[in-house]
Amino acid sequence: MASVSIIPSGDYKTSYGSDTTIFPTRTSRNFAILGVILLLACPAFMDRYWLSLLIQIGYLGIAALGLNILVGFTGQISIGHSAFFGFGAFASAWASNSLGVPVALAIPLAGVMTTLVGLLFGMPAARLKGLYLAIATLAAQYILQDFFARADWFTGGTAGTIAEPLTIFGFAFDTDERFFYVALVALVVMYILATNLMRTRDGRALVAVRDHYLSAEIMGINLTKYRTMSFGISAFYAGIGGALYAHYLQFVSVEGFTILFSIQFLGMIIIGGLGSIMGTLMGTAFMVFLPEAMQALTKLVSGTALDTALNLKDNIAFLREMSIGLVIILFLVFEPDGLAHRWKQIKAYWKLYPFSH
Amino acid sequence: MSIKTALFATSALLLATSATAYADIPVGHLADQSGATSDVGVPYAQGVADALAYINSKGGINGTKLAVDTVDYGYQAPRAISQYKKWSSGSDKIAALQGWGTADTEALTGFVGKDEIPAYSGSYSGHLTDPTGKGPHGSKPAPYNFFYGPSYSDALRGMLMWAAEDWKKQGGQGKPKYVHMGANHPYPNAPKDAGEQLAKELGFDVLPAVQFALTPGDYTAQCLTLKEAGANYAYLGNTAGSNISVLKACQTVGAKVQFMGNVWGMDENAAKAAGAAANGVVFPMRTAVTWNAEVPGMKTLKDISKISDASGNAYRPVHYMAGVCTAFYMKEAMDWASKNGGVTGPNIRKAMYQKKDWVPAGLEGVCVPSTWTDADHRGMTAVNIYRAQVTGDTGASVADLVKAGTIKLEKLTTVDVPRKPEWLGW
Repeated sequence: MASVSIIPSGDYKTSYGSDTTIFPTRTSRNFAILGVILLLACPAFMDRYWLSLLIQIGYLGIAALGLNILVGFTGQISIGHSAFFGFGAFASAWASNSLGVPVALAIPLAGVMTTLVGLLFGMPAARLKGLYLAIATLAAQYILQDFFARADWFTGGTAGTIAEPLTIFGFAFDTDERFFYVALVALVVMYILATNLMRTRDGRALVAVRDHYLSAEIMGINLTKYRTMSFGISAFYAGIGGALYAHYLQFVSVEGFTILFSIQFLGMIIIGGLGSIMGTLMGTAFMVFLPEAMQALTKLVSGTALDTALNLKDNIAFLREMSIGLVIILFLVFEPDGLAHRWKQIKAYWKLYPFSH
Repeated sequence: MSIKTALFATSALLLATSATAYADIPVGHLADQSGATSDVGVPYAQGVADALAYINSKGGINGTKLAVDTVDYGYQAPRAISQYKKWSSGSDKIAALQGWGTADTEALTGFVGKDEIPAYSGSYSGHLTDPTGKGPHGSKPAPYNFFYGPSYSDALRGMLMWAAEDWKKQGGQGKPKYVHMGANHPYPNAPKDAGEQLAKELGFDVLPAVQFALTPGDYTAQCLTLKEAGANYAYLGNTAGSNISVLKACQTVGAKVQFMGNVWGMDENAAKAAGAAANGVVFPMRTAVTWNAEVPGMKTLKDISKISDASGNAYRPVHYMAGVCTAFYMKEAMDWASKNGGVTGPNIRKAMYQKKDWVPAGLEGVCVPSTWTDADHRGMTAVNIYRAQVTGDTGASVADLVKAGTIKLEKLTTVDVPRKPEWLGW
């Protein structure tokens, strides 16, 4: 991957610490902080539609980051991520409904419970690779889905279960305007955690396992430990994302957590950029906005001369689904390294302007 | 036109439309046009949408128009909930909801109760009939849930009573065997316990339930189970689409079972699709008549049908008519509410209790008289049992097949299911 790191001339690094800072330059850090501050002001001027999309990016982004740690950083594969997302959602609803745990604690608890389940299903990863591992995670998807539909005590069976809204000191985060802040805080915390993880020994070990497992093992990295751990971390993120989803929607039902949803998670990280934390967020935003953009586009087309000329009528809805697929294919053909890579190129272009070659 | 004028014109237009939008009565309409139950969801939603558009063309609710927002939620409860949350907050909060499935309606019960939004569902789950939550079977209070028709449980009870009689009439020996069939989903599951309980009381031998998915597929294995177990009466809990697969598979393996559909289990389209396999299936019907009947209310229905079919020739299945009835019960309740303090949720709810055995004006002879009280939302307990008759090839259009008599929905009987207090909310 040709990642061009653009460091201003004269900005030398003199220690390992400064080489692994989260933000390469002061400006980039300031921009990130400014971005968060701007987001804080969003509920003041955005309507519910946009807020709900941003909240979606929030909880899906957290779960997608988990998958990126597993797939992008550790080089494993999972096509059962939505099942872990679902487990987190049900676990949090169950903890707050049946055990009486306050929602604010139920969410991290759900993360821990999902981690345990993730470790369990990650055990085959210690011995399986590639396609075989993919099939093993497929099993996780189906086992969990069936469990959701049958475990009445835990999930309410096929009827689903109600989840209480998050309440802190009597203040209920039950509207989009309020929940937006919950999603934002969770997103920032989880992303900083992941970024920091990648700067530690463990994080580097994960990357080493991805790049060349044999060399990693020779260097003293316990493959079994790190592969399984990666599943656990991935499940933790999925669990937290799922729990947030549960308390945002205030209802969880088995229907949502299908394999299609798992593949969407894979789509998010592939489009965003495998092994890129910022790319994960970009990919999630892309996957959330794309159907909405297509919806708006089809609304524009319907009823126009083009519509009547081609006699589209009811088929416009299908046209939308097809164009979503098409956009994704085009994206993979022309931007295989993901949005994160494109972003770097855009930045480089402007930094070197007008002398970029 | 300069940019300035264009901008001014658009903003003026926007202002004007938003001003009128606030004066209207917002109504949310959840429809399944693409999901697992879309086979019956499409005609029902069309009935609701046409009826509401017709109401608007006649001046709306005492002069105020309904602002209807129809959304296809693909029969996925989470999508219904997130849509509902958009509708239920803010200044344009909906005054009423036209809903659809059991999973989403039951999930929304608590929400609509809290937000005081009357929800008229296409789900007839018995759990929705208990406004106070005092039913002995642990039903949760559903004060704002209404539906037009017998509950799934009451309809099944009615059919079981008919089946017990039928068994005697046919000269059956020993105990008849009853089996519940359907997907593992809230909708087919809703009347399961109620049906099996009554079947036992009526002297049926209750076999273990048989599962088949909500989507069409190969259900030969299920039919072989029925054949081996020797089932005599089977309840089909799913919608027409997947039921057809079962009917055809059972015909192939030669399982001789009397099938009993639910209200969504059979209709003219399904009879056409299933052909001879649908012959003899009994099912409960919500309306008093089918499309070609000559009753006073059909004139209104034909006018409503022209909203989406200008030619006026379309043959509408039973679900379309049930959709119109549901929309009109809401309309009459809104009429009363607008004269008694305004079209708000609590007023619409109160309006539903004002009359006894009532039929919305203009639909006489079509909708079956219903009564709701603040302690009992079982609007109707009389179950009209019909039998589908299919004779010959079903290649032609539904309208022609019905006209030629190839497809006939023949009324067998009306069973008055007792309004037992212990059956409330079950």
